[in-house]
Amino acid sequence: MKNQFVTITLNGQKREASCESRTTLLDFIRHYLGATGTHAGCEHGACGACTIELNGEIIRSCLMFACQADGACIKTVEGISSQDNLSDLQAAFKKHHALQCGFCTPGFLMSAEYLLNKNPSPTELEVREGLSGNLCRCTGYVGIVEAVLEVGKMRLNSKRDSNA
Amino acid sequence: MKPAPFQLHQVHSRKEALSLLEKYKDDAKVLAGGQTLVPVLAMRVASPDHLIDINKVEEFKKIEVQNDLLRIGPGVRQAQLENWVELYKTQPLLSMMFPWVSHTAIRNRGTVCGSIAHADPSSELVLALAVLRGTVELSSKKAVRKIRAAEFFIGALQTDRKSNELISAVNFPIAKKDEGYGFAEYGYRHGDFAVVAVAVVKRDDHWRIGFGGIDDVPIVVEVNAASTSKAIEFLEKTSSDIEVREDPTATSGLRRHLMRTLGKRACMQAEEFKGIS
Repeated sequence: MKNQFVTITLNGQKREASCESRTTLLDFIRHYLGATGTHAGCEHGACGACTIELNGEIIRSCLMFACQADGACIKTVEGISSQDNLSDLQAAFKKHHALQCGFCTPGFLMSAEYLLNKNPSPTELEVREGLSGNLCRCTGYVGIVEAVLEVGKMRLNSKRDSNA
Repeated sequence: MKPAPFQLHQVHSRKEALSLLEKYKDDAKVLAGGQTLVPVLAMRVASPDHLIDINKVEEFKKIEVQNDLLRIGPGVRQAQLENWVELYKTQPLLSMMFPWVSHTAIRNRGTVCGSIAHADPSSELVLALAVLRGTVELSSKKAVRKIRAAEFFIGALQTDRKSNELISAVNFPIAKKDEGYGFAEYGYRHGDFAVVAVAVVKRDDHWRIGFGGIDDVPIVVEVNAASTSKAIEFLEKTSSDIEVREDPTATSGLRRHLMRTLGKRACMQAEEFKGIS
């Protein structure tokens, strides 16, 4: 099979590489572009570790082919904080022990950011539902849910302060 | 995991898609959202030589109301329909079901027609089409035909689609003012396929009760009952009488129990339904 050139905007940077039609977007980002923040877990859509943002919507990068994403704007976990600083959500994950091995964390961070964008003040149930597509085998989810709820409140308060 | 090599055809029109299907037939699979097909390819359960990717076909992305039908094109993503502002007014049962359909990241990509094409007996959308008595429109290069849900779903993951046909739309009847709707489901994890799901459509004394997850296809039963308690009586008898699947996820006893409890809840919800206006 012939290789195809794929160009994507990855976290604001234009990147391109050539790959086979059967290369998943996940493998393309990790192996061809070297951005290994996005993790490959089950590779069939069950675990959510490979969750990324494609043109503003979160998707599973293992469930689409790189060729289908040609021209798309993609945000991965590398794009959620500036340089070496932790984002507020990452800091809250650290504070609440929302990770142990950290394998699922990139997916959780992408899903949680998306959830907070769509719904800035979610209830605990809404957080649990919003993150239901991501599996964590270490934490039991309690710390993760606490971290997301806290960041939701923090962001609302700082927004209120800046409006006052 | 990696799919076997294939040739990817990214088509831009309905005509192009149908020509390729006519040419390759069984050697080709239609790729829409890919939320079922890509895992199937990754695990090499299927290894077609050609994939016809319809994601770039603009004319497939339409949600339309035509007379008394809600027509969903093959490019319409589940999230697109879920977030369509007119959905509750047009067909509230679908609105009630969407929170149960998989997870956000899957609904953002998966299509409505794709779920119908996959025909999983536990799928909420498959159950919705069956209980609402919807239709599937199948197009080949030469012809278009419409078929009722009951004839389209012929077994677990099996449909009446021919290898040169594309699901060019699914049609859900729109809600009537005097109809009541109910829906209840039990699954092991939020967003997982249902162990049992029950959907109810009530109009005056007529009750239509659909069960998902109990057999190879959704089962729809109908009864005329003057009161909710009469309908529930019928539901309990049905739950004991009909054949119910048994598999490692649940015994048939558990499924019968869920049919009764969820069914009762869905019937009461349909009775109390406030109407769409």
